[in-house]
Amino acid sequence: MFQTAPCALQSATVKICHLAIVIPARNEAPSVAGVVRRVRAASTGEVIVVDDCSTDATAEEARAAGAIVLSLPVQLGAWGATQTGLRYAIRHGAKSVLTMDADGQHHADSIAILERAQASTNADLVIGSAPERLSRPKRLARLYFRVIAGLEVRDFTSGFRLYSERAARLLSFRHATLFDYQDLGVLMLLKNYGLSVVEAKVNMSERNHGMSRVFSSWSHVARYMALTSMVCLARAGRARRPT
Amino acid sequence: MSGVQITSLSIGLLLAATIVYLLRRDHLHGPYAIWWLSMAVVTALLGAFPHVIDHVADELDIGYPPALAFVLAIALMLIKMLTMDIERTRQELLLRRLAQRLALLDAEIKQRNQTPSE
Repeated sequence: MFQTAPCALQSATVKICHLAIVIPARNEAPSVAGVVRRVRAASTGEVIVVDDCSTDATAEEARAAGAIVLSLPVQLGAWGATQTGLRYAIRHGAKSVLTMDADGQHHADSIAILERAQASTNADLVIGSAPERLSRPKRLARLYFRVIAGLEVRDFTSGFRLYSERAARLLSFRHATLFDYQDLGVLMLLKNYGLSVVEAKVNMSERNHGMSRVFSSWSHVARYMALTSMVCLARAGRARRPT
Repeated sequence: MSGVQITSLSIGLLLAATIVYLLRRDHLHGPYAIWWLSMAVVTALLGAFPHVIDHVADELDIGYPPALAFVLAIALMLIKMLTMDIERTRQELLLRRLAQRLALLDAEIKQRNQTPSE
């Protein structure tokens, strides 16, 4: 289904011809290998696991399962790790970049759903969304952000996303580096630059282990809401010409 | 020289000497050094001539001269703190970009070593 165009980057050691699949992971040793194997079975994309300074065997597990592993020397959080993957993917010639979680909640066989949505809508970002699984605080947060940021995205916290090359390139730059979370800041930046976002409905599992980092406690939620409101304040209404 | 003048002069000179000492030991660099050296000069001067504040306050019709000193000091501290956070933000950006770049280069070196033919 992919046209295998000649790879752009000659000097790189690994050439990614079409799709890169970026999986940020912090202390996900129990699940990461299974996720990598299922993804490699379901897609021909190059799998890149970004190890966010894990203290367990995440990197070794991912490497043994056949992924390219990028190891961060300091913990940068989910978005910092994801951006590392985007930078690698763009550097090595990827034409689109899919991101998914390492804990097994996103299904490898749903990758095709996102690819079909991208092919039919030509959107710069396809979000794999499962809005019915949103918890009450997340629903409230969504309402709040819809009011202050004017974003119509339903499952804005979903990390299961397919970026076009243009979106991935835009998000790999410095101006996207200081985001603390991958959701609102990223969506608003894309909106500022006039890039299109669509959602595709997918099934998601409960997390195999661990829990939502953001919505784990009220103090986390308060911090998240405050930081994300600052992002909205910084980005709202800052329209740019499309790159 | 009055008692209060001796006290303020010694505090001002002590502060100025500490800053110059830190500067010469490379604990303050570039723009920070300039800021703190200016502060050292100002504290030493105000220590030597504390009544300057009284005269300025009198010119500005401020009834209680120490209030002028406090307001100026707090304003300068706020400006300094704001510029410190701007600088910290810049450094945080730099740190994150460097950490990411290190991860990218590290992976590429490992790939090169695995495939020496390329």
